[in-house]
Amino acid sequence: MDTQLKRGLLDVCVLAAIRGEDSYGYKIIKDMKPYLELSESTLYTILKRLETAEMLTVRTAEHDGRLRKYYHITEAGLRRIEEFKTEWKEVVSIYQFVIKGDPHE
Amino acid sequence: MNKKDFLTELKNALTGLPQDDVEERLSFYGEMIDDRVEEGKSEEEAVAEIGSVDDVAAQIVADIPLTRLVKEKITPKRSLRAWEIVLIAVGFPLWFPLLAAAGVVALALYLVVWVLIVALWAVEVSLWAGALGGIVLAVICAAQGQSLPLMALLGAGLFCAGLSVFLFCGCKEASKGILHLTGKAAARLKSRFLRKECVK
Repeated sequence: MDTQLKRGLLDVCVLAAIRGEDSYGYKIIKDMKPYLELSESTLYTILKRLETAEMLTVRTAEHDGRLRKYYHITEAGLRRIEEFKTEWKEVVSIYQFVIKGDPHE
Repeated sequence: MNKKDFLTELKNALTGLPQDDVEERLSFYGEMIDDRVEEGKSEEEAVAEIGSVDDVAAQIVADIPLTRLVKEKITPKRSLRAWEIVLIAVGFPLWFPLLAAAGVVALALYLVVWVLIVALWAVEVSLWAGALGGIVLAVICAAQGQSLPLMALLGAGLFCAGLSVFLFCGCKEASKGILHLTGKAAARLKSRFLRKECVK
């Protein structure tokens, strides 16, 4: 897949994974597993990027005698998901145009 | 491999990278391992799921922008010892010209690329000027009724015009090609730099 497109998709996926409630690294990976395999390093990069874009905030909390980082979605993050939904409708309509009259379909 | 070994090896593999980045990554991977252990996996299994130290380190290095890497490289991690300062001072006549020469060579290579492009377009522009001049002079000759120079000038002008149209496409493609090549060379340079870092 085109890397630019994939990057955008992954960002939205991670945002969706923390939309319901704050989540932590391993849980995000597990939640996404049925849909796509995400490596730790990739997730780290995405989380950093989203934090810089102020689409999520990070807090460190104690869990079971150790520290764990929790990620919380911001207003900007929620807006990004909404934007994605509208963008995707455009993608689908472009897709319809592409396959229309395609002899391989 | 257990968690402690994994993190120690990863830390070693990341020597030379910005300290803050390294600490943050290590705690991130540590948390990932702990969460897997909490789920009932053994430390060894958890570490195996994260992947090999080399792969993880390579990906981390690729993620950090080149500018940060270079900045980290040129900032000394400790103050210089006396003999090092003496060596740098004594060696100045040797290393300074070498460094300056390397810089000038790099600059020259860069200039050559641009001069090449400028030269191509200069040929193109001069052909246009030749065409225009030839035709204007031919018109003047025609007004004065000199038929022989008229023919010669008109011929030369049209020849220049034809050649310039022909060369225009060549110039465009060549410029695009040269710029593309320099871009590729820069990308190669970065990946080489990164690979060297990873091996360490």
